[in-house]
Amino acid sequence: MSEADKFLYRDSGKVANPLDQADWATKKLVWIPSETLGFVAGSVKEEKGEECLVELADTGKKVTVNKDDIQKMNPPKFSKVEDMAELTCLNEASVLHNLKDRYYSGLIYTYSGLFCVVINPYKYLPIYSENIIEMYKGKKRHEMPPHIYAITDNAYRSMMQDREDQSILCTGESGAGKTENTKKVIQYLAHVASSFKSKKDQGELEKQLLQANPILEAFGNGKTVKNDNSSRFGKFIRINFDVNGYIVGANIETYLLEKSRAIRQAKDERAFHIFYYMLTGAGDKMRSELCLEDYKNYRFLTHGNVTIPGQQDRDLFVETMDAFNIMSIPEEERIGLLKTVSAVLQLGNMSFKKERNSDQASMPDDTAAQKVCHLLGMNVTDFTRAILSPRIKVGRDYVQKAQTQEQAEFAVEALAKASYERMFRWLVMRINKALDKTKRQGASFIGILDIAGFEIFELNSFEQLCINYTNEKLQQLFNHTMFVLEQEEYQREGIEWSFIDFGLDLQPCIDLIEKHASPPGVLALLDEECWFPKATDKSFVEKVVQEQGNNPKFQKPKKLKDSADFCIIHYAGKVDYKADEWLMKNMDPLNDNVATLLNQSTDKFVSELWRDVDRIVGLDKVAGMSDGGMHGATKIRKGMFRTVGQLYKEQLSNLMTTLRNTNPNFVRCIIPNHEKKAGKLEPHLVLEQLRCNGVLEGIRICRQGFPNRIVFQEFRQRYEILTPNAIPKGFMDGKQACVLMIKALELDSNLFRIGQSKVFFRAGVLAHLEEERDIKITDIIISFQSWCRGYVARKAFTKRQQQLTAMKVIQRNCAAYLKLRNWQWWRLFTKVKPLLQVTRQEEEMQAREDELEKTKERQQQAEEQLQEFEAKQQQLNAEKLALQEQLQAETELCAEAEEMRSKLATRKQELEEILHDLESRVEEEEERVTHLQKLKNKHEAMITDLEGRWTVDIQ
Amino acid sequence: MAPKKDAKAAPAKKAEPAKAAAPAPEPEVVAAPPALDLSTVKVEFTPDQQEDYKEAFGLFDRVGDAKVAYNQVADIMRALGQNPTNKEVRKVLGNPSDEEMAGKRLEFEAFLPMLQHIVNDPNKGTFDDYVEGLRVFDKEGNGTVMGAELRIVLGTLGEKMTEAEIDALMQGQEDENGSINFEAFVKHIMSI
Repeated sequence: MSEADKFLYRDSGKVANPLDQADWATKKLVWIPSETLGFVAGSVKEEKGEECLVELADTGKKVTVNKDDIQKMNPPKFSKVEDMAELTCLNEASVLHNLKDRYYSGLIYTYSGLFCVVINPYKYLPIYSENIIEMYKGKKRHEMPPHIYAITDNAYRSMMQDREDQSILCTGESGAGKTENTKKVIQYLAHVASSFKSKKDQGELEKQLLQANPILEAFGNGKTVKNDNSSRFGKFIRINFDVNGYIVGANIETYLLEKSRAIRQAKDERAFHIFYYMLTGAGDKMRSELCLEDYKNYRFLTHGNVTIPGQQDRDLFVETMDAFNIMSIPEEERIGLLKTVSAVLQLGNMSFKKERNSDQASMPDDTAAQKVCHLLGMNVTDFTRAILSPRIKVGRDYVQKAQTQEQAEFAVEALAKASYERMFRWLVMRINKALDKTKRQGASFIGILDIAGFEIFELNSFEQLCINYTNEKLQQLFNHTMFVLEQEEYQREGIEWSFIDFGLDLQPCIDLIEKHASPPGVLALLDEECWFPKATDKSFVEKVVQEQGNNPKFQKPKKLKDSADFCIIHYAGKVDYKADEWLMKNMDPLNDNVATLLNQSTDKFVSELWRDVDRIVGLDKVAGMSDGGMHGATKIRKGMFRTVGQLYKEQLSNLMTTLRNTNPNFVRCIIPNHEKKAGKLEPHLVLEQLRCNGVLEGIRICRQGFPNRIVFQEFRQRYEILTPNAIPKGFMDGKQACVLMIKALELDSNLFRIGQSKVFFRAGVLAHLEEERDIKITDIIISFQSWCRGYVARKAFTKRQQQLTAMKVIQRNCAAYLKLRNWQWWRLFTKVKPLLQVTRQEEEMQAREDELEKTKERQQQAEEQLQEFEAKQQQLNAEKLALQEQLQAETELCAEAEEMRSKLATRKQELEEILHDLESRVEEEEERVTHLQKLKNKHEAMITDLEGRWTVDIQ
Repeated sequence: MAPKKDAKAAPAKKAEPAKAAAPAPEPEVVAAPPALDLSTVKVEFTPDQQEDYKEAFGLFDRVGDAKVAYNQVADIMRALGQNPTNKEVRKVLGNPSDEEMAGKRLEFEAFLPMLQHIVNDPNKGTFDDYVEGLRVFDKEGNGTVMGAELRIVLGTLGEKMTEAEIDALMQGQEDENGSINFEAFVKHIMSI
């Protein structure tokens, strides 16, 4: 973590150093311009009228500088400040110094008000890990050090909170890191907004979103002098989110692909990466299928196999193919793409010759043509005819028109460029299809624009006009946003202030380029010329001068020998344009015969690429190209075809509409040097970019308003020292306190505004207050130091006085002794003294004391024993008590048993009585039985007797 | 009021670092206060006071010539209850050089009017001033400053104090965390 912290946080220890602060205040440090370093620090020694004598801080040399060239330095409190809008002295020098300071400390991100400025570190920084992403998740901008993640998170949160679409605009020179930062934005969003929460198991969509880049880079990037992986196109990536903030899809739009790179490259540059990936990485089977050849056989690869240090084209080929897999782009489509790439290369190998007796072109060797036709699924004869003698419409009839060698070569090159461009567009379309398959409804989106910044070369062409026009519009968008935001802040704070809408500042220049009529702008005039028979680049320039000559943003070249045709004053500076081939570039003509053939290709993939061929500008329509007057005379109806300018204007205007409906976030990428070296920053190069990309412009606008704002509480805490007694004791509300303080400071009413929660200041006012505060503090410190010194001195003095008193006592004693020493009585006294009873007293006392001590000891022992016994007794008592309780319980038990026993005895008695009764009854019964027996016996006797008698009677 | 304060403070600041580096701008300071003619200062101390002062003065005499070195003058004045800045003391001494400060000696009779001058124009800093001044270094806003920070402030700003002076000053003032309640601190300093 600490490793990464180094590249995020400025070291605060240095900032608080009061010495620097004192240095700044006393030496009156300023910035003066320097040839080599941009600006150098110096201290003002003398001021005489318009000029100042300045001593340079590091060399000590004294120089005289015009007052206007001096730029104020910020107090050290602002060293390496994270947001340059906080700088109290806002000037080029301070901005440059701050960026430089931070860059040298490894801090590549810096805010500048609405902008985030990032300087390419040209080395790996450990600040893009998942840990860091987690750190930035959900944090406010000011809570964390500047980072592209902070910008992204901010955009994401605002989108979720305000339900407003967002855009992140990365601009800058080639090699400044636009594409890298764009990738970081996507990486962050894919991580934060993924519906799959576990880190390992990233959703398929997120994976595809991340994989879209390697594919686009393989086909759209190339090595340039400035940048090994330069995006040769602009892109706008739109990531859609559902209401829960999860990614549901994405869409990529591309702008201005530099298709000429496919057929020609400058020294030390490469064509698009895919050419090299394919030629190095393809296996034998694929090589024969794609008719691949050796690097040196291709005319379109101007410098053969150029390699990039540290990059393995073979591995990257595999990676690209893997990316296709993840994108689920099937094998046959991949082969289709590569076939087209191969065909583009083969087109370059078609060579033409001028026939001996006519101007006509011929193709002695048609091997290349055969390969092209094989790859693109065309008939060779048809193709050759279409190239050498295409059918052209004249009036109502079609005629065959033989082409010259130049025309044929031009046609082939145009075909190669168009093929590559169409293939690229198809690829983007295909990626979009892959990224847009979820059924979930998108609720809002974040758009990420990665597009080249202003380009100002010595001489600039149509491509530069397009890109500069784009930047002019983007800057206007920024200015407008800034205006709106400032306005809102001022309104929120209730500040009276009529703000100038700087968004309109750039309109004249935009009008100069894009206006349709009255007077028509450059693009409109160019279109018009394209339709005009016999028009040339020269006649176009004349027309522009005629129509726009008086436009303040337009300049004719000063001198005749000047190589530029006209200049446009963009906000980033004056740009010289050369109008060579503009008509051609604008029309971008193509052999429509071949286009038709491709449209009907037997290869499904190829015919799909060339699906729409009806609106292309045919070769025959190009007035400048036609050799004779015979076809040029046909005036072409306007609007029938689409020119490059028109298409781009439309694309741009769509983009602007999209962006205007979003809340934009601006990222300005800066290239520190042209050597691709880490840790090196060329001041003038950076200054130039700051000017071009509007950072300094933003600051200029800032200065018109109240760029320094400070919340009441902080203002009071920091500057109350300047206004002693202005605020009465006890509680006072922040605003009221600040009002009183400002009143006491006697500031000009134009220098500040008091809002609802903050005080607003014009640029530089805070620096002045800071300076005064500094002086005041030093004043107080000196006074306090005097008290402290007084305190220390008095403490020391008191000690010395006490020492003096002690010394006097000792002295007196000594003096007395000296006097006594030789006095006989004294000597006698000292002799006798040990014999005296009194002197033994002490010994006795000692003995007594010992005795006492012993007794005390004994007593203590006894006491201790007593305590012990007492404790024992207590213990025994407790035992006794327990036993007693037990006894009681036993007794109770016994009594209970006794009672039981007696109860039982009684019961026994009763039962015995009953038994007795029963026994006597038994006896009685027995007696009765005996008695009855007797009776029975008696009766029996009687019966017997009677029987006897009866028998007797009978007888 | 602010600009007035400025005018007074500005030369003070300028002279300070120059003293250490080169005494070049000092003549300018000498020229600035021509009023400092000690002969016009009327000594208003009572005889008793003068007696006390003389005794104190004598305590600083290390040689026994009834004089003190120039660089002791400030401490005597402080021992006698004054709180002059080093700059003020130098001024009443006639802005001597560093060698003169160490080498030159002063008798009591010459010292008295100097003391009188300082007494007439005492250090006007108040308790509130100092508390507010130190509050600036109160990072947490809880009425304390770190002892280490205060040491740096006193040792690097203004009339820089030596380490020995600071040690004597700060003895027993820091709490167990090394911080100092600065209101109590100022009160303590100003109580003696």
